[in-house]
Amino acid sequence: MTNRRDFLKLSALAVAATSGMPGFLARAATQAGGTKTLVVVQLTGGNDGLNTLIPYSNGAYYAARPNIAIPKKDVLTVTPDLGMHPALRPLMKLWDDGHLAWMENVGYPNPNRSHFASMAIWHTADPAQAQADGWIGRIAEKIGDPFCASNLGAATPQALQASEFSLPSIDSVDNFQLKLPGGMETPFQSLLNSPRSGEAAYLTRATRQMLKNTARVQENVKKYKAGATYPDTKFASQLRDAARLIAAGVGQRVIYVSLGGFDTHAGQRAEQDGLLGTLAGGLSAFQADLERQGLAKDVIVMGFSEFGRRVAENGSAGTDHGKGSVMFAFGQGVKGGVHGSSPDLEDLSEGDIKYRQDFRGVYAEALTRWLNLDARGILGGTFTGPRWIA
Amino acid sequence: MPLTPLSRPLTAEDAAHFLRRTAFGATDEQIRALVGQKAQDVARAALTFDQSVAPGNPFDPLQGATPGAALQLGRGAWLYELAYGPHPLREKLALTWSNHFVIATDKVRNVPAVVDYLNLLRRHAATRSFERFTLEVAQSPAMLRYLDNDQNRKGKPNENFSRELLELFTTGIGAYTENDVREGARALTGWTFQGGRGNKQYLEQPRFVYQPQQHDDGKKTYLGQSGALKGEDIIRIATSQPTTATFVSRKLHRAFLADTPDDAAVKSSAETWTRTKGDVMAVLTELLASEAFYASRSRIIRSPIEFLVGGIRTLGQPKIDARSLLNLAGTAGRMGQVLLEPDTVKGWDGGREWINDTTLLLRMQVAAALTMGSKAPNLDTPPSLLALTGQERPAGAVLLSSLKGRQRTYLSLISPEFQLA
Repeated sequence: MTNRRDFLKLSALAVAATSGMPGFLARAATQAGGTKTLVVVQLTGGNDGLNTLIPYSNGAYYAARPNIAIPKKDVLTVTPDLGMHPALRPLMKLWDDGHLAWMENVGYPNPNRSHFASMAIWHTADPAQAQADGWIGRIAEKIGDPFCASNLGAATPQALQASEFSLPSIDSVDNFQLKLPGGMETPFQSLLNSPRSGEAAYLTRATRQMLKNTARVQENVKKYKAGATYPDTKFASQLRDAARLIAAGVGQRVIYVSLGGFDTHAGQRAEQDGLLGTLAGGLSAFQADLERQGLAKDVIVMGFSEFGRRVAENGSAGTDHGKGSVMFAFGQGVKGGVHGSSPDLEDLSEGDIKYRQDFRGVYAEALTRWLNLDARGILGGTFTGPRWIA
Repeated sequence: MPLTPLSRPLTAEDAAHFLRRTAFGATDEQIRALVGQKAQDVARAALTFDQSVAPGNPFDPLQGATPGAALQLGRGAWLYELAYGPHPLREKLALTWSNHFVIATDKVRNVPAVVDYLNLLRRHAATRSFERFTLEVAQSPAMLRYLDNDQNRKGKPNENFSRELLELFTTGIGAYTENDVREGARALTGWTFQGGRGNKQYLEQPRFVYQPQQHDDGKKTYLGQSGALKGEDIIRIATSQPTTATFVSRKLHRAFLADTPDDAAVKSSAETWTRTKGDVMAVLTELLASEAFYASRSRIIRSPIEFLVGGIRTLGQPKIDARSLLNLAGTAGRMGQVLLEPDTVKGWDGGREWINDTTLLLRMQVAAALTMGSKAPNLDTPPSLLALTGQERPAGAVLLSSLKGRQRTYLSLISPEFQLA
């Protein structure tokens, strides 16, 4: 295990060595390289994997969940043993076309049931919780362009933190432009040029970067013409913005979108059913849009949550925090099907399924075989997983 | 070792710093009034507050036509109190606690429950007993609903509150086991509330009740202590752990000293906490008069609410119409801080989390609206550079001094110096 103190010492040195501008920002961002885009979808709160990809032929599933199990008659059958939650119907076409993949039983060693510790593990790709930088932040450092990955939303997730910088968050493409009152451009530039240190220097850098990023987006974003009607949800409007950025070709290799509310301790059916509907509605519109624009061959989507839920329901028709869960991916570049075997519901660890696939193996596949990057350098080790890229 | 008290009388920059941290900001006149005073006197005076509120608050959440509208009015009412109220430090502490004992209005849609919760945070803002404070929070209908303890029953435990009590409210991660979470949940069975359930009853007052028939009175072991533990015992044991002293002291340092607290300084506060059995007033009095506090300039990135309220207070609390105030509360949300609704139970991490392209753009829009827009308040006497930046000679001072009132104020509000406290 990494010695935390040594790590902190090393990272302090690393910061000192690049004092001022972080290395990857100082380099000329020539080109991000490659034309493929990965869209990461975060389901915040711990999505219940067993009610997402349902083991409908398994009596143990129904025995553990008398109130919240999805009845067999309602599941969207995908294999003789597994079916999708009915709210995911908009994704069935992708499944039928062979472009939707389910990764079964994904987790990591020594699972953590804290939302925040577990989410940090997925963000940093480090179950030892020693790293502060996110795995997508490290992609940006590798590519040498701080704009190669962007979050759509108000706050930047840890996955997009790099050593001395966080990558852009775009809450709405339309509002992503700077309008200074008349005559203030020159004084504003002069103000930014005053020398500063500490957090003030950080804020100056962030502001300069924002000026560049907004200019880049606004110059290009008009290229987009909507190819699909999106549902009226915040999540869908963020996906529409993702499609606009991809169509504009401003250079993002990774785009990050989140959907929250999956912490279903009580009354799970009402809550999760609605959320999965929002998820599937937004994603299917996004896919239709990309297809209409002729961009679908260059974009894949990969979704995860920080953990699944306990196998047995609790006394409030909900579920408490569990361990492993399912991941999903889709796109023309994805090899559809179920990757990996379903959890054994009669051999549990403290009431939870025992994970069989490490999520870093799933990431590694996207990094090497989709983004054409060195996964080892980004994930800090060699991880193999299912071959889910076509 | 307690924190070393500041020995010098306050300078103008000391006073500006104190008011940026404890009052979101202040006018030049308010700053000058503290110059030459002793740090201990200034800290004690700021911490001496009652429960009086701003007169003429235009918002009353109980007038809301729907749960959503009522909660929006509640946010407006709080923003008004933050910006115009007589006790900014009480409000700053309530804001800090709302980010510690987190609830979220999208789940707690009952208006009296939310109003009571906020008043509870105000009442205990500088509490003499963290244990008492935690107990009252745990029994508030808002928290019972938010973390599902209202559904925690004998034989059918719901672990949500029990887990977050340890992870986020008291000891922090690493000081407990999964078994403590389960046993805590058993001890907390039977705590629920009556009334105010459902969308139609959003104006009905809910009340805490203990239902003994739903309580698991068997033997439990929690953080090393065994017995037929009850909910009150769980709160007492969790709040009295040494790790709680450190964990919560660290939050206070995050709120008042630095986004990245100094471990030795946190330890000093934790020792005071332990010695006084969780007397937050004692910890704060020491903290706000310490050398460490006055040495930690420009080390906190202002949150969206701190940015907005700081702007209004620095401008001398100009009158802003009710509709614009509601818009500002909404803008704070778009900058990542919806009052009483953090994204997750962990609350806002703060610091650099507040800064990204979108939020910087929004901050610039707000600054323009407050200073140069068609509805901008009158600025007969523009704020001094000291009031705006906390420094007598900030970066860019020559440039800023060469500009006229509104332009100077606008540019200062979007400067890195104003973003920091």
